[in-house]
Amino acid sequence: MKGHYKLALTALLILLAVLPVQSFAKDMVAKEPPKSLDKLYPPVNKEQKWVQQMHKISGHFGGVFVDMGEQDWENAEKHAARFVESYKEAADMVPEWKDYFDHESARKFAEEVKTRDAARIGKAAGPVGKTCGKCHDDQYLSVWTRYHWPSADKIAITDPVDEKELKYGKYMSLLSGAFKGVTVNFGEGQYDRAKKALGGFKKRFMELKSVCSKCHTGDAVKQFYVGEASAQAFDGMEAELNSPKPNPGNFWKHVGTLGYEGCKKCHLTHRAYAIVQEIWEEKEEARK
Amino acid sequence: MKRIRILLLISALSALLVVAGVYFAVNYGSRWIPEPLVQLAREPDLLENAESKKCSECHKLIFEAWKKSRHSRAWVSETYIKNSEDRSKEKCLACHIPEMVRAGVKPDPRLWNRDEGIYCVPCHVFGDAPPGTPPGATPPPACAEVENSPPCKGGRGDSLPVVTPASGTLAMNGPYDLFSPPHPTRQNPDYRKSKFCGSCHQKTLKEWEGTGSEKTCQSCHMPPAEARLTQKFILGLFHAKKPVGDHGFRHGEIGDADLAMEARIAGGAIAVALTNQTIPHLVPTADNGDPRLFLYAVLRDAAGVELEKYKEIIAPQLETALPYRKTAEYKFPLVPSAKRAEIFLQYQPAWSKERSDVRRIQMDL
Repeated sequence: MKGHYKLALTALLILLAVLPVQSFAKDMVAKEPPKSLDKLYPPVNKEQKWVQQMHKISGHFGGVFVDMGEQDWENAEKHAARFVESYKEAADMVPEWKDYFDHESARKFAEEVKTRDAARIGKAAGPVGKTCGKCHDDQYLSVWTRYHWPSADKIAITDPVDEKELKYGKYMSLLSGAFKGVTVNFGEGQYDRAKKALGGFKKRFMELKSVCSKCHTGDAVKQFYVGEASAQAFDGMEAELNSPKPNPGNFWKHVGTLGYEGCKKCHLTHRAYAIVQEIWEEKEEARK
Repeated sequence: MKRIRILLLISALSALLVVAGVYFAVNYGSRWIPEPLVQLAREPDLLENAESKKCSECHKLIFEAWKKSRHSRAWVSETYIKNSEDRSKEKCLACHIPEMVRAGVKPDPRLWNRDEGIYCVPCHVFGDAPPGTPPGATPPPACAEVENSPPCKGGRGDSLPVVTPASGTLAMNGPYDLFSPPHPTRQNPDYRKSKFCGSCHQKTLKEWEGTGSEKTCQSCHMPPAEARLTQKFILGLFHAKKPVGDHGFRHGEIGDADLAMEARIAGGAIAVALTNQTIPHLVPTADNGDPRLFLYAVLRDAAGVELEKYKEIIAPQLETALPYRKTAEYKFPLVPSAKRAEIFLQYQPAWSKERSDVRRIQMDL
């Protein structure tokens, strides 16, 4: 019975350790991260030092509970001591965030680990865990947006049809217009116009493969968004438009495939971060 | 008078003997040169992240060739700066500013002397530890070697014990076994292998491996010419001439024999066939850059007025580049009243918007 109690308590404590990373904020403001973070990420730094530091803190904090569950108190204490060190290091790395850190709670937590009393350790973990959660609530999204997502706005793309170089946003508008050139004409029964528009739309859509490679090093991502399914959808649309009597059911099914494979999957992944970046860029412009 | 002549003759012979001895020792018998004498000539700063200018004091020809290469522009190229969002894209850093290039190992980016891009030190200065060993440190010990260390139970590597810094004895690495007084040298066969270039040009290496070609990257992009490795006055002359690779890293020179373009009329269209005949990788090829071939077909009426202009883009990033020894065919429908067709192929490198003509065909329809 005693063993079960310990197991349940350990599980609860691990849960407590994880909980602070979740956001309960009602209003979310994605503030731009402080400048001093620049030196902790490429290209100023050759590694993602801040991420490494977060892993270090999290690893030692979690290490206390793993060892506690195994009754390995010697290592639990080592982890607790290293947690305090790495927590302090993190505070020093970004002075603008010093108020997020509660060194006294961190110290108390490490002290309680020495008591080898799971309940006391769990209680002491709460306040220090909350400091992590508060910072994550306020800053996590901003940091990821700034340092892990290159700005789509800075991507330039040469239109394969008229060979003009356009900013990515403009290119997407052009692509959207080309898409409508196909679908609107098809809806109106003007199949010749739809066919002509499809040639340009296909070229512009397939050009998106080169956009993937502006950030991604592997080719698999191209296949995910602009892969075989999209190519087959284009073939199907062409086949319908080349037939004497195009079948609308088939045609719209292929349009749907393109919309899902290319547009939706990409927007679902990239759009939210791009919106935050766009707002920051607008603010930056306004400041100038 | 006769005595003076004899003395002069003996002096000349002695000088000749000394010169021959030094020449022999430098090129064939460096082990006979006493170590203290070698140490006197050493310039340790050459192994401490020296700038290319320092290397150029002796290796003038290699430096001049490299200076004209794209490697020297890797960090300062306007195209690179623009496409990497002012050099902030992390994926570009490792190969535009490599810290240390070792065969088969993707480098880490460096923090020093970034303006020189891919230059002498990252490619030639490293220790004798196995490839993959980070500079200045040996790999972390296996868990079994670290007694009672918490990280071995699944913790983070950051808390592994600090290990003795040493990536082996530093030396200037290259394809030759030779003696150079200013710095220690180490012969490394990797310099003749495609694998070395493939540390960064990974996709191109894979393409090349798929062809089974015996030509290496170096044989086409660094063709050797008989020369001395150093040009420093007098001392440079003591180095025997040998094949030295072109450090201009030739690129984009598509000869007539390399790429065939043929056009014919078939089924109401102009069929254009492009064959990559000799280049054992995709044409164009790039890991992350975006070089392109543009194939145009312009149809004109009898008065020369343009009736239709077709275009195909051949590019690795669009997955349309030309594989080795394969023919790609493109069809451009004929239009009524077209009397002439002009078909041409242009090349645009990754770092410029300027294009150059590769092939051009005129056809009467």
